Amino acid sequence: MNKRNTPKYWFSKWLVPAMTAGSLVLSGSLMAADDDTINIGFISPRTGPLASFGKTDGFVLEQARKALADGMTIHGKHYKVNILDRDSQSDPARAGQLAKELINQGVDLMLAISTPEVINPVADASEAAGVPTLSTVMPWEAWYYGRGAKPGQPSPFKWTYHFGFGAGEFYKTYMSQWALLETNKKVGVMYPNDADGNAIRGALVPRFKEAGYTVIDPGAYETGTTDFSSQIAQFKAEKVEIINSFPIPPDFAAFWRQAAQQGLNRQVKIIQIAKTGLFPADIEVLGSLGPKIASAAYWHKSFPYTSTLTGQNGTQLADLWEKESGEQWTQQLGATLSLLDAATEALKRAKSPTSRSDIRDAIATLNVTTIGGKVDFTSGPVPNVSPGPIIGAQWVKGTGKHKLDYVITENVTDPNVPVTHKLLPYNR
Amino acid sequence: MKIKRSNAYSMATVIGASLLFVALVSAAFVASDNVLERLTVLFVYVILAAMWNTLAGFGGLVSIGQQLFFGLGAYATIRLADFGIPPFVAVLMAALLVGLLSWPISKFMLHLKAAEFGIGMWVLASVGHLLVNLDPLIQGETGTSLISLNVYQIETRRVLIYLAALISMVGLLIGLFYLLRSKAGIAMQAIRDNEEAADSIGVDAQTVKKWFFIFAAFGTALAGALWLAQASSFQPKTYFSVQWTAYMIFMVLVGGIGRFEGAILGALLFFAVETWFAATGVWYLVGLGAVAVLCSLFLPKGLWGAIESRLGLRLIPVGYQVTDETLKSHKP
Repeated sequence: MNKRNTPKYWFSKWLVPAMTAGSLVLSGSLMAADDDTINIGFISPRTGPLASFGKTDGFVLEQARKALADGMTIHGKHYKVNILDRDSQSDPARAGQLAKELINQGVDLMLAISTPEVINPVADASEAAGVPTLSTVMPWEAWYYGRGAKPGQPSPFKWTYHFGFGAGEFYKTYMSQWALLETNKKVGVMYPNDADGNAIRGALVPRFKEAGYTVIDPGAYETGTTDFSSQIAQFKAEKVEIINSFPIPPDFAAFWRQAAQQGLNRQVKIIQIAKTGLFPADIEVLGSLGPKIASAAYWHKSFPYTSTLTGQNGTQLADLWEKESGEQWTQQLGATLSLLDAATEALKRAKSPTSRSDIRDAIATLNVTTIGGKVDFTSGPVPNVSPGPIIGAQWVKGTGKHKLDYVITENVTDPNVPVTHKLLPYNR
Repeated sequence: MKIKRSNAYSMATVIGASLLFVALVSAAFVASDNVLERLTVLFVYVILAAMWNTLAGFGGLVSIGQQLFFGLGAYATIRLADFGIPPFVAVLMAALLVGLLSWPISKFMLHLKAAEFGIGMWVLASVGHLLVNLDPLIQGETGTSLISLNVYQIETRRVLIYLAALISMVGLLIGLFYLLRSKAGIAMQAIRDNEEAADSIGVDAQTVKKWFFIFAAFGTALAGALWLAQASSFQPKTYFSVQWTAYMIFMVLVGGIGRFEGAILGALLFFAVETWFAATGVWYLVGLGAVAVLCSLFLPKGLWGAIESRLGLRLIPVGYQVTDETLKSHKP
């Protein structure tokens, strides 16, 4: 019998290779590069544990798409602008994979936002493929040194740029915020073993000590810890009046509930948290323990800036969100829009906005004011980074339609932002 | 009656495989970026499936902690690259180091039987994950990046990673092929079928298992290091995730456990399914699980097992075949 006619022959020789080839073709040809269209990739965490960051992104992207509906005219030439947004599902591996897919689909510019778990893998994939990338909302030290850059050496990154707060801004903000109340200057710190935690421990603790604070550090804990009694006992014994922590939301909820059960909350005047407590939901779950927790904001609706892309100011943006979604505004609204502002400003300045290297050169010399404040890559502490503000704030009992209000208590990292409230002691 | 190792199919397979290899090598210089990157991923999947099949299919050692070696391979690459070793050398050295480390691990793990071994490996993987987190270079769960690869031009880098993955895959498959045909391979399959019986006829089970365990650890670590090279970012949680073992189990179960061709077919299927359906999120994972359950219920030998038993087809001659050609030839 001629074996070419047997089904097994066809299966092994043709079906399997054909399936493989089919998969390759399918994944490669979704979008053909078009000279008159600028393609922007946008990756953020919309589902999974980091979903509270990405919750407002759909709305902000809709605003951006409206503003870009007629395209952009750059150096006299008209371009359509196409934003391809993707959900990282809070999974770093997925974020890296999505970045690769978008790169292979031919995006001209990549945007990534919120937390090292999204930004770092996207930035690495873009750096590897030579695609200009702009990101915001994570401490820049964890972005720059965390990806392997060494202090004092030339920047190893040629394509990726990041703007926003860093450890230096946290230091200034905390010093300014903690001086607002009379305390015994004993600070208990709870920093986890992750990039943010380690970057902050290395950068802040020595400076707190220089500034005259006594730091009680029980050591790094692993994310996902459920029993904090030894740390709480130590803080009680040392009579700390300030607590500073950089936990993920579930860890903080566990820590602070246990602290309340063991009476630590009654001696604490300032509970200053970052990474959690950014959004109303993080604080609402704590019930009566929530109000008067101090936080720091990378954006607030009373920032006195206007979006270069949509023309909205902070209050307009926040009000529109509340009207359309029926939910309280969050600081992520302005952060996401500031990224889109910076991106479109860079495109306007690029020699050719469909050339990856021209866009990169435009980002490297970018100096604009977005809805989130200044983005300036010409004068950063290291190349590729533009530091941004982190404003001292506090959650207080709501006076209007919301359970909690988010109010500004100090403004050392951006004096243009108006201070509206006095910092209230937590234990009173 | 005649006992032989190869047949016309296997000769055709050898020729076909050699031609495919030449085609894949030349693809490095002509194929588009996307095709190269996807093929690199496919090669890593084939390595993972073949290595898990080595352990479970041929060795009867069902491990659900192979992510230990995958993660350690990637971690060792990061560490070695940080010492200034060129990245591709670091990839190979990392796999060798992890292979070396798996020797003391095998000393105590192989005393555990069946489920205890499976769970024990998972525990070890979690311990490995936590220990790696303690290295300040890794910065806990955030991880770091293999930036030493940035010294290469983007195009060169992509081709080099592709070729490294291709050569690793081919090397490991050839290694596995000869391992299975060797005395140890036959002993291993005897142990898989019945350990007591094998022991009674003088098979040294512990030594044979040890070598298979080390081989699978080396191959899985190489896959982890290659994955790191193509992804650049190292986050402990991703690399030490049990999902890697779940993928390996899926590929091997669906493809055909204990069959050399089965693991490759499983990897191809998994790759195709991932390419087409990964965007559907949760339902993709539900679908993968459902397919694995259905396969183990209705096709216990996997797709290749079904093909093989229906059609008597064997492309890669790792066992012996009995034919009756000589009997026929005596008849008038």
